[in-house]
Amino acid sequence: MSATAESVQERRAALKGLGTSRKRVEDARFTQGKGNYVDDIKLPDMLFGDFVRSQHAHARVKSIDTSAAIELPGVIAVLTAKDLEPLSLHWMPTLAGDKQMVLADGKVLFQGQEVAFVVAEDRYIAADAVDLVKVEYEELPVLVDPFKAELPDAPILREDIADEKEGAHGARRHPNHIFTWEQGDKAGTEAVIGEADVVAEEMVYYHRTHPCPMETCGSVASMDKVNGKLTLWGTFQAPHVVRTVASLLSGIAEHNIRVVSPDIGGGFGNKVGVYPGYVCSIVASIVTGQPVKWVEDRMENLSATAFARDYWMQGKIAATKEGKILGLWCHTTADHGAFDACADPTKYPAGFMSICTGSYDIPTAYLAVDGIYTNKAPGGVAYRCSFRVTEAAYFIERMIEVLAIKLNMDAAELRAKNFIRKDQFPYQSALGWEYDSGDYHTAWDKALDAVGYKQLRAEQAQQVEDFKAGKTRKLMGVGLCHFTEIVGAGPVKNCDILGMGMFDSCEIRIHPTGSALARLGTISQGQGHATTFAQILASEIGISADDITIEEGDTDTAPYGLGTYGSRSTPVAGAATAMAGRKIRAKAQMIAAYLLEVHDNDLEWEVDRFVVKGAPERFKTMKEIAYASYNQAIPGVEPGLEAVSYYDPPNMTYPFGAYICVMDIDVDTGEAGVRQFYALDDCGTRINPMIIEGQVHGGLTEALAIAMGQEIAYDELGNVKTGTLMDFFIPTSWETPNYQTDYTETPSPHHPIGAKGVGESPNVGGVPAFSNAVNDAFRAFGLTHTHMPHDHWRIWQTANKLGLHN
Amino acid sequence: MVLEEEVQLPLDRQTVFQALNDPEILKQSIPGCEELNQLNDNEMEATVVVKFGPVKASFNSNVEIDPSQGPALFKLTGKGDAGVAGFANGGADVHLDENADGTLLKYTVNIDISGKLAQVGGRLIEGTTKRLARKFFENFESALLAKHT
Repeated sequence: MSATAESVQERRAALKGLGTSRKRVEDARFTQGKGNYVDDIKLPDMLFGDFVRSQHAHARVKSIDTSAAIELPGVIAVLTAKDLEPLSLHWMPTLAGDKQMVLADGKVLFQGQEVAFVVAEDRYIAADAVDLVKVEYEELPVLVDPFKAELPDAPILREDIADEKEGAHGARRHPNHIFTWEQGDKAGTEAVIGEADVVAEEMVYYHRTHPCPMETCGSVASMDKVNGKLTLWGTFQAPHVVRTVASLLSGIAEHNIRVVSPDIGGGFGNKVGVYPGYVCSIVASIVTGQPVKWVEDRMENLSATAFARDYWMQGKIAATKEGKILGLWCHTTADHGAFDACADPTKYPAGFMSICTGSYDIPTAYLAVDGIYTNKAPGGVAYRCSFRVTEAAYFIERMIEVLAIKLNMDAAELRAKNFIRKDQFPYQSALGWEYDSGDYHTAWDKALDAVGYKQLRAEQAQQVEDFKAGKTRKLMGVGLCHFTEIVGAGPVKNCDILGMGMFDSCEIRIHPTGSALARLGTISQGQGHATTFAQILASEIGISADDITIEEGDTDTAPYGLGTYGSRSTPVAGAATAMAGRKIRAKAQMIAAYLLEVHDNDLEWEVDRFVVKGAPERFKTMKEIAYASYNQAIPGVEPGLEAVSYYDPPNMTYPFGAYICVMDIDVDTGEAGVRQFYALDDCGTRINPMIIEGQVHGGLTEALAIAMGQEIAYDELGNVKTGTLMDFFIPTSWETPNYQTDYTETPSPHHPIGAKGVGESPNVGGVPAFSNAVNDAFRAFGLTHTHMPHDHWRIWQTANKLGLHN
Repeated sequence: MVLEEEVQLPLDRQTVFQALNDPEILKQSIPGCEELNQLNDNEMEATVVVKFGPVKASFNSNVEIDPSQGPALFKLTGKGDAGVAGFANGGADVHLDENADGTLLKYTVNIDISGKLAQVGGRLIEGTTKRLARKFFENFESALLAKHT
């Protein structure tokens, strides 16, 4: 019998299903430069669009003179708000229920705002014509500090809605105020804080940054006036949503619009929103009858398309003297820029910030978020995280450290003392979430053992002594982080975007020869969907992953789905894939029963075939069943082998992890070097360990960037000071440390294959780990908290303020 | 951005002060000045080409001068529009102190730059502005000496 057992194993291995480190099938074309990105699309008679953008952060537009630009040979048209107004397209709705100017309508509200759209025969002529458009501005006072938005002398930014007392998310108390969002028990939390033995307070700022994908945003619109069909290629993380929005905005029937997301060179949230460039390329194509391409440059990407973060989080955390946490209070001032264009589920204007109780059993909590308009670019997208989850994780992981200082307690011990215990799951959090599963203590102990935590602390204490004795000028920081994410949005009952429920989908066709095509409502931006979704399916239907083609991104062929962001692809579309696979298997079982002349119930599934129970020599492989399904008349069974599943998840998934960063800091130069980084992730069932590791490496590197230098900084005039890659930090291999990855595996109880999603965990957990390491290095010298990003200059300043340069 | 520096010129205060009000001398002194027209006693318009790192900008500028506190103090305010490259707003106070070697000019330049210039050239603005200010007084000195010697 051992021969049979071996062959089962061999057959399982041949499927390259769940748990296989299968090489990425996408990489053959990417590594050879054969990808097909938006800018690779070249159509006959294609025109190019380019924007005239505002140089001012706040100004009235007194006049726009396009005459010199129009006269330039090769220029076809110059669009302004006046041209879009008859079509009601000079403004567009945002994903957050606000509206945004497509082209400046009377005033500009941030530097880089779109003022006019030049259409020309090539992009160089378009760029030259942009220089010839004369815009006369009257400068207005600029508001860059959200804490000054409601002062008596604050300029009113949004005159269009200045008098509206109700916004998309409830009451507005000032023209520059967008919403107040409250969760939890305010009175109860304040009472607990008032009576507790120990209360730690801190203002935790998660600075404004930007996803900065390697490929910037762009689109190609082609209106075929003969058949009335609009085709729109673009860098869309949610192509189906774009089709619906485009139909609602333009009045073109949805079946006459085809949206295609080709290969996408990184998204990280930047490509979720709808941008004026998309609208203008569509209008220009409709007007000219020719295809129109718009692709932004790097400066436009950094200064005008969606930013991330910019949350000022005022926190109070209450505990007993022994370190048992009793309550958490948080008030966040959220700087949303000039238009509220956050990409959050409609009912969550601050995303899932209410996951800010983290991995801890906190009995009472309260969260309030105030959204504020400023003269900055709109956005507020989830940059490699589920909606505002990285802000929440950073907040709680800093508050835990601040509390540990106040208690004079080891921060690892304080965490372990307050973790939600394994036996408490499913766990109901004070801010309303039901955590599906977790085993935090096991992961934590494994992480502490792996790095030799006690020895690290001993070494650190010795180094502090040596520093004080003048024997060294270096300090060492140990950055701890235990994060819990909330991903996989989400249940349609509470998650929608512009009314569209956040389900996802998969459609499978099995071909007669036993290979397959599966199409999903998501779209890969580098995550490796073509590799991993084939693996899920391989394990479900017994067809090798190598024989399954995955297609996404073309709304004419793929089933409707809400797209890829917020680590939702595996939790939602991955579940749909498994469920569709199970439908295939159910039909295959009926066919196999007919072919083997047994009852359905007499068969059992074994890797890639149905076997008659008790008679292992009698079986039909999926390949044989597929052929029969098309070519054999089976009574009561329709020909063919196809299935569709639309999956509405019953709950979110809650991946978690334990990260530890050891950092060496040069007190005199402010340089910080990562000596060791240990990352343990628990993402439930692991589909492809190699891809998980790649995701963790990439996410940690983006976390390093954010924590250690990357920011979108404005000066007091509203100029973007970090609008190029000279000033905006992107780590290269030189700055990137070595990472040590590890895992535990706690499957999600409600997901068909137990998977939870992982692409964003390392960013969510990485940022607090790096930041905690910097803060921890100075703990012995009296530092409680210092803001990110921790670039050399700021670290040097921290050391200087603590008197370490004397 | 505020810039404070001083320069010593081997000419008497009245001569230097008059030169600061002389469009011909100013045109020769302003680095990159392609055109300068006097609109009235106190107003001029000028076209000035400046390079901030990778961005070359041609400013159409309006300059207003205030000689009312002369010859001890010369004041100037201006606005420059470089279209898509950006904008500049600023002013300068030049104090003229007579001494044994001629005149000591102490100048305070106050300048705000917005737009693409500030975005791309942010880190270059201070250095460029300093260099331009020094260049101005170098040119100013040679123009003056050429005229008066």
